[in-house]
Amino acid sequence: MTAFIDVDVRPILRAGGEPFSIIMAALERLEPGEGLRLYAPFKPVPLFDVMASKGFAYREAELEGGEWEIRFLPYDGSVEAAEPASAASSNGDWPEPVVHLDNRELDPPEPMVRILAALEQLAPGQTLFALLGREPVFLFRELERRGHQWRGGFTPQKDGYQLTVRVPA
Amino acid sequence: MVGTSLCKWTISYFAAAIAWLLLAEGLMVAGFGFPNHDIGDPDTLVIVHMVSIGWLSTVLCGALFQFVPVLVARPLYAERWTLPALALLTLGLVVLLAGFLTLGGHLDGPRWLLPGGGGLLIAGFALVVANLGMTLWSARPLPAPARFVAGGLACLCVTAAFGGLFSLVLSGTATGAQWPDLLVSGVSIHALAGLGGWLTFTAMGVSYRLLAMFMLAHDGDARLGRLALRAGIAAIAVGLVGGALALWRMTGLNLALLLAGAAALLSFAAYGRDVLGLYRTRKRRVLELNTRMSLVGLASLVAAAILSVAFVATGSFSSHVGALVFLVAFGWLTGLVLANLYKIVPFLTWLETYGPVMGRVPTPRVQDLVAERRALKWFVVFFAGSWAATLMLLIEAPLGFRAAVAAMMLATLGLSEKFTRARRLADVAEPMRLPTGAAMPHLLVSRN
Repeated sequence: MTAFIDVDVRPILRAGGEPFSIIMAALERLEPGEGLRLYAPFKPVPLFDVMASKGFAYREAELEGGEWEIRFLPYDGSVEAAEPASAASSNGDWPEPVVHLDNRELDPPEPMVRILAALEQLAPGQTLFALLGREPVFLFRELERRGHQWRGGFTPQKDGYQLTVRVPA
Repeated sequence: MVGTSLCKWTISYFAAAIAWLLLAEGLMVAGFGFPNHDIGDPDTLVIVHMVSIGWLSTVLCGALFQFVPVLVARPLYAERWTLPALALLTLGLVVLLAGFLTLGGHLDGPRWLLPGGGGLLIAGFALVVANLGMTLWSARPLPAPARFVAGGLACLCVTAAFGGLFSLVLSGTATGAQWPDLLVSGVSIHALAGLGGWLTFTAMGVSYRLLAMFMLAHDGDARLGRLALRAGIAAIAVGLVGGALALWRMTGLNLALLLAGAAALLSFAAYGRDVLGLYRTRKRRVLELNTRMSLVGLASLVAAAILSVAFVATGSFSSHVGALVFLVAFGWLTGLVLANLYKIVPFLTWLETYGPVMGRVPTPRVQDLVAERRALKWFVVFFAGSWAATLMLLIEAPLGFRAAVAAMMLATLGLSEKFTRARRLADVAEPMRLPTGAAMPHLLVSRN
């Protein structure tokens, strides 16, 4: 089982505080393979992208009173090891990408063309990972039309954009 | 992380704008307005507003509706406001021009034409500013290029407010008669806020991102553009506050403009340094035509700045202001816009046509929609024409000026044909031109 560090941001938010830095600080303290369990008074959707860009998948569970428990798990394969097929219906555990693209040096809109072409070759449920020079704003529209799911975010150094796309199962 | 879609009416804005540009060039070739008439003559005002509102403002609004969402990665606040804004701007300009023609004795129109046209234009610009402003507001904190746009929009409001007041004064209404002196010193604020604040400042901000994108240069540094932005805002603030104070005290206008001019020079210098930096760190060795021509346009801005300093130093600024404004409006702004349209029109057309089938069938590259070699000659003619026309204004040779503008008009027609060819996919080789599942784009409207 994955070990978790617990972070409860509910009292911080109730006191009008800003929990982001505390979550990030907790993240710094994680040992390899460890996860982060977050308690929040609402579903922290914006955080999911940030955590995805740092290499974390998530599982969500609604608690009583509209509060949420979110478990962030590292993408290093421990997700599957910890909880096999049972959690497959949750959208937090995408399989390892079968295609990795580095599109940072390509002229726009070439990154978009390559990603869409590569996605056509994937089997249902498979994922693709791409590194880009900037946020591919025109690509999302096409992904949405084709029913693909995606997660993305800027790299921590802000010098690029990481994108994971999943072909509908 | 919301996607951006195509703005349906951006291409329509471009088409309307080019029609105004051609009309203005045609009138100048025919000898209408400056330099045959005085710079403040109603005939000159017809041309000035055709170029500044009909051509430059319209094309910039159309581009911003598409570009601001890309810049801040948020959808446009209200796509449905874009067509009414275009209608208001076009109708307002037609009425305003009729007002100027009446003032010049060419038409026998009623006195409400000027304030009526001004009111319609203010309504149109208000829709534009509200739409773009709300989009920017949703994306705070703004990246540097978007801050330029926000500053430009603020200047657009000032320009429109002054324009509205002038229309009341010029039409001889009782309301306007309360400010008989407004025109004397207010015109310079109106012109500077419009040409310098709205058009130039916005174009600078947008070009930061476009140049970085097309040169494959890194523009993620938060300091990039900071000095140009701050100096530019200082120039605008000093110009507007100082100008308004001078208007009230009836003195000190020249000092305010001089200080604003110095800050503007600093802003241009910082901008030039930034662009040079992007150019040096670019990963793309061979630049595309649109980028090369944008840099040529930038050279016109540098030339205009140097000439301004020289004329101020020799005390001959006021007698050369017409030539300088022409160089800024055509050599810099029009050149920059035409160069970028040469990329934007094919790109939007490509995205619209091939986006839905991309990855499933072979599709052409964006560059396959254009033939750069054939367009290059028109850009050369255009820039040479704009510089020759500026020179003719400086040496006061009206016939030479008309000949040079004729060359510019020819080049504008040539480039318009290239934009049309891109919309029609005329330069795309046949097997890939219209694969199954792709639809031919309309000339004047995008599917989104």
